[in-house]
Amino acid sequence: MKNALAIAAREFEEKRFVAYAALAFAILPFVLAAIPGVNGKSPADTIAMGSLIFGSAFAIAVGVISGASFIGRDLSDGRMSFYFSRPAGSLSIWFGKLTASVLMIVGTFGFIIVPARLATGRNWTRIISSSSTWSVLYILAVAIALFLIAHVISTFARSRSPLIALDFAAAVICGVVIRLLFLPLFAGEAFILVKGLAIALGGAAIVAIIGGGAWQLERGRTDRRRNHLALSQFLWTTMAAALLIAAGYVGWVVSAQPGDLAGQVEASRSPSGPFAVISGNAKGRSDYRATFLLNLDDGSKWRLDPRARWGVRYTRDGRSAVVPHLAANAVDMLVYTHGKAEPVNTGLTTSDRDFFVSDDGGRIATISYEGVLSVYDVEQKRSLVSVRLPSAKSMRAFFVTPDVIRIYLNLPDLKIEELDVRARVLRETGSVPSQNFLGVFPDPSATHMLVRAFREGTLSLNDARTGAAIKTLSTGARIKSADYLRDGRIAFVDGPDSAAVLHILAADGTPQRDIPLGAKKWIAILGDDGVRVVLADTNAASGHRMFEAVNITSGTIEHREPAHDSVAAVVFDPRPPIEPLHEVLDIDAQGHVAAWNPATGAKRMITGG
Amino acid sequence: MSDNAIRISDLTVRYGRMTAVDHAALDVARGAVYALVGRNGAGKSSLVRCLLGQQKPQDGSAALFGEDAWSRRTSLMQRIGVVTEDADAPPEMSVGAISRFCSRLYDKWDQDSVETRLRTFGVPLTSRFGSLSKGQKKQVSLAMALAISPELLVLDDPTLGLDVVARKSLFEEVIGDLADRGTTVFITTHDLAGVETFADRVGMMENGRLVLDEDVDALKSRFRRIRFAAQPVAIDAAVLRPTVMRSWGGGAEAIVSNYDDVSFERMRSTSNIGAAEVEAMSLEEIFIAIAGAKS
Repeated sequence: MKNALAIAAREFEEKRFVAYAALAFAILPFVLAAIPGVNGKSPADTIAMGSLIFGSAFAIAVGVISGASFIGRDLSDGRMSFYFSRPAGSLSIWFGKLTASVLMIVGTFGFIIVPARLATGRNWTRIISSSSTWSVLYILAVAIALFLIAHVISTFARSRSPLIALDFAAAVICGVVIRLLFLPLFAGEAFILVKGLAIALGGAAIVAIIGGGAWQLERGRTDRRRNHLALSQFLWTTMAAALLIAAGYVGWVVSAQPGDLAGQVEASRSPSGPFAVISGNAKGRSDYRATFLLNLDDGSKWRLDPRARWGVRYTRDGRSAVVPHLAANAVDMLVYTHGKAEPVNTGLTTSDRDFFVSDDGGRIATISYEGVLSVYDVEQKRSLVSVRLPSAKSMRAFFVTPDVIRIYLNLPDLKIEELDVRARVLRETGSVPSQNFLGVFPDPSATHMLVRAFREGTLSLNDARTGAAIKTLSTGARIKSADYLRDGRIAFVDGPDSAAVLHILAADGTPQRDIPLGAKKWIAILGDDGVRVVLADTNAASGHRMFEAVNITSGTIEHREPAHDSVAAVVFDPRPPIEPLHEVLDIDAQGHVAAWNPATGAKRMITGG
Repeated sequence: MSDNAIRISDLTVRYGRMTAVDHAALDVARGAVYALVGRNGAGKSSLVRCLLGQQKPQDGSAALFGEDAWSRRTSLMQRIGVVTEDADAPPEMSVGAISRFCSRLYDKWDQDSVETRLRTFGVPLTSRFGSLSKGQKKQVSLAMALAISPELLVLDDPTLGLDVVARKSLFEEVIGDLADRGTTVFITTHDLAGVETFADRVGMMENGRLVLDEDVDALKSRFRRIRFAAQPVAIDAAVLRPTVMRSWGGGAEAIVSNYDDVSFERMRSTSNIGAAEVEAMSLEEIFIAIAGAKS
């Protein structure tokens, strides 16, 4: 310790001219502020900004120059024996020199900014930002990091050893491994983990360089090549160990299973069929978000890129899920099909805004941010047609057949267009005049549609292709939810919160049955299984959310199940699904996902059970 | 406690494929003066670096006062004064600053002796080290090395590049100090004439190998130059072993490495060699003869 301090003092004394230069730079902002035409509107601002710029540049320059010379130059000039021929240990020499250089960086930075800080008062805080302490520490951290890096490069370069080729290779390998470690964390939106890992690896690098410096002097002493060898061995061994530990940790983080999901759990399900996407933060893994595509029927699961969790689309037959897989700057479309272990890459790469698929999954249509609709044939792996759509506030579209796409555009008039894929023609087929947003719900055959005017509170039956009004189904009443059932009948809920009623109508709008539901504040029609309509609702009095299975033949509520956060179906295609609804999903307060069977009332845990 | 100040055993230093020191072994007794000579590149400096614990040999070891020089360097340096081949102090430091710095590293430090010596050498304490002449730098290094009253003084080619006056001053200082303290001295040098008067033992390195390691008196007593008035001369190698044999004027000159008076008289009485003149040789002459014979 005594020797380290003696060496630090000597090194500091040797570099005292740097401190004199720093003092000159400390005065310079005050001089600039006194010059008319240079000081701008506020001399205080000039002083604050000038001192920060000069201080940062000076500290970084001192860091780089000191790092490049404090060991490497002594070795290459043969001056290291000045210390080694005296009773100074390697650690004393290293830490003495290191301390002097770091103090010089910090001290000169302080020389330049402290007078300005004292002189400018609040201007300093205003200019440097409210977190001025952190800003200063970041600058110093950068300067010290550059100092350490410069030391390593200097030791390697000045040794004139061919070993530098291996160092370069090791550095490249480290860079590649670090990138590989960070990619899944970025993909998992684990920004806290990314920051933590960056700090940990940065700390490991600092330890490796500082420890390596002590090791190089202990093993190499006055020999520059042996110094290089020792530093290389220590640095890369330490980094390899750190990266190995980091890789193990990242591997453990990304190995999270659906059962590990505990926080910020989100889920979406296919309107029918077995698929669901579950995403959430895994236990003990900070903010890492794991995402899975689950087949609820057979329990199989696939890990997805969490960023794609809201981009999964399902075929209307419920057999396949089309999943965007982010690769580089584009998105590959993968098709996961029930009963197949591995997904099939469609060959379609896109960076478009949204997409939807035909009923059998044979065709995919994408919509770009510029409003260009393109149709892609999966089997042929080729694009069939691209057309530009009119600009609209919102849009729904679906494949009526594989060769016909119908598009509903809210302009706010509801404009209906059809794209003939074979003829490559986009034509307007109809419209529904409106000043406000209209919700459209086509029947399974896309012949008729329900048109819901949210602001006006009306529900009407219209021609799905031309938009021509056929019949008004409800007006004035408070409509809570409306949809087609799979068999073509109409279901909608209206009434006051104290007495909501489920109306079942024939396809032509003829009323068939009214089923009182009681006091319901909010209701969503989740689907039907041919016998029951499944609702998710909130009791107007208690505020509790429930799943309810309403038998539309008997008009009774067969089963109820408390719900916490009912999982919505992801739909772009507004038509009802082909397959009956078997299960609905709920996320409980603990973030566990459960499936409820409306036919039996049975509940089973999907995660966390 | 070891009787030897220095023990080098089977020491080997390699740089890549080149062997700088090849299985060298030597002992230096406490209080002795050992001069290691050899041409440039013979391996002297590598051996000295190992001796000072600045370089780890690939094989063998260097021990100072019975302790391994590599692993015990820091504590050993409290007892050892070093004058390196190249002046290694930072050029921007003043002589006084160097002295102050060194005084903090050593347990015992005689500042008065430093100042006295520097005054004697005519080197001001305020001088920047980088502004001094080569001789003055060596003198400063020597003053620092002697300030701790070292048990061992290692001088690595201390006269390299010095003029005659500086060289004489350096050796007189060493000799004076030796006389005062009985310090062990290990010196590598090309200046054999300078060390001849006070070296007890001499070693010679050639291509990394220690080809000679002997007491100076014994070495000088067995080497003789014999000049014969006539030639050819047939010397019985079983009696006297000529290292060099060449023409000299009208006669011949032989340098023998195993001379003794009895053998010479026996050879003269049994051989018809005519007039012969026997001369003692200086260390430098012996070094040249050995080096010439090997090349």
